[in-house]
Amino acid sequence: MVDHSDEVDEVPRLKWPRHFPVPRDFGVAKGARIAEGKSWPTPEGATRIATLRIYRFDPDGDEGPRMDTFRVDLDDCGPMLLDALIWIKSKVDATLTFRRSCREGVCGSCAMTIDGTNWTACTRAMNELSEPATIYPLANLPVIKDLVPDQTHLFAQHALTEPWLKTETPAPERERLQSVEQRAVLDGYYECIMCFCCTSGCPSHWWNGDRFLGPAALLTAWRWLADSRDEGRGERLEALDDPFRLYRCHTILNCTRTCPRGLNPGKAIAEIKRMMLERGG
Amino acid sequence: MTRPRITPYSAAHGLGAAGHAARHWWAQRVSAIALVPLVLWLVWALANGGATDYAALSDWLKSPINTILMILLLIAAFHHAALGLQTIAEDYIHSRARFAVIALVQLACAAGGAAGIVATLLIAITS
Repeated sequence: MVDHSDEVDEVPRLKWPRHFPVPRDFGVAKGARIAEGKSWPTPEGATRIATLRIYRFDPDGDEGPRMDTFRVDLDDCGPMLLDALIWIKSKVDATLTFRRSCREGVCGSCAMTIDGTNWTACTRAMNELSEPATIYPLANLPVIKDLVPDQTHLFAQHALTEPWLKTETPAPERERLQSVEQRAVLDGYYECIMCFCCTSGCPSHWWNGDRFLGPAALLTAWRWLADSRDEGRGERLEALDDPFRLYRCHTILNCTRTCPRGLNPGKAIAEIKRMMLERGG
Repeated sequence: MTRPRITPYSAAHGLGAAGHAARHWWAQRVSAIALVPLVLWLVWALANGGATDYAALSDWLKSPINTILMILLLIAAFHHAALGLQTIAEDYIHSRARFAVIALVQLACAAGGAAGIVATLLIAITS
C-alpha cells in the first residue's frame, strides 16, 4: 500500500498529466541517479596530471552510483587508459573494479564508455582523452560493479548465431580446404574480439535488445554465412529471418564508428540482408 | 533491457525466428524507390500549371497516363507508410498495444489508399 498520509490536505486531482509527456526525472529511480563521489587529491610531486572521472557502483551495497574523481600521475604510469586504471587500483583506490586481461586489444575485456564513446581502455591513449575524462561502464547492461557490466545476455545472443563450422559432408582426411580468395572474404569479419562496444552503443539494441541480436552477434553470423566451408547457410538464414533478430537494424552505424578493431558490423548486416534477398525472402 | 527470470539461452531465443521479415524489408525498399520518380512527377506536374484551379486539376487527372501514375503513387505511398509505421511501432511499443497499433495502422493505410484510388477513378471517369 502506498502511504497517502502526507497528502490528506491535497485536493484530489489527476497526477499524470503534470509531467506529460516526459515522466518526472525521465522515469529514473532516485537510487539510480549518479551522485558526486569522492575526489582524490593530486599525487605528491606529480607534474603531468590527468583527471579521470570514473563511475562507481556496487549494486550489493546501500548506496547509489557515484562519480569519483582521480588524479593520475602520468610520469608514474603507462601511456594507455588501462595503465592509468591499473595505476589507480594499485596506488590510490584498490576497490576500483574493472575487467582487463591482454592489455593489447585482442581480448575485449576492458571495453568501457570513454568520453562518451565505447572503446577498449588498453588501446585508448591517455593523451587522447579530454580533461577531465569521463569513464562509464558499457551502456544498456546491468552493472555488476563499477566498470564491470553483466554481458550474459550478449553472450547468449552470440551463441544463438551458432558460431562454429556446420557440415554435412564427412570430414576429409586433412583440413577442409579453402582457396586464398575464399579465405580473403572473411577479412574484416573474423577479427571480432567480442568486447561488445558496438552492441552496447546500438540504439536499436537499447530499445529491443531482448530480441534484436545486435551488431556483434550479427557480424559473427555473417562471418559464418560467408565461410566457403560452411554447409549450414540455409538454417543460419532461417534463424535470422525475423523482424527483430536481424531487421531491427536501421543502419544507424554507431557500431562501425565505435569498433576498436576497425571492423564494419554495419556492412556485415547489409551483407546478411543481401543474402537473405538472394534466398528469396 | 529487461531480464526475465528464465535461462539466458531461453531469453535470447525467445519464441524463435518469425520468418517473412526479409519480404517486409524488401517491400519497404522497393516502395521507397518507386516513390522517388512518382513524387518528382507529381511535384513537376503540379508546379507546371496542373493545380491552378479545380477544373484544371480534374482535367489534368483525367488524362489516362496521369490517372495511372496517380493510382501507382497512392499505392506506393500508402503501402510504404504502412510498412514504415509498422516498423516504428515495433521499435518503440513494447506492450501488447503494439498488435492493436499495427492492425490500426494497416487498416488506416488501406482505407486511405482505397479512398484515394476511388476519388482518382471518379474524377477520371465521370463528367
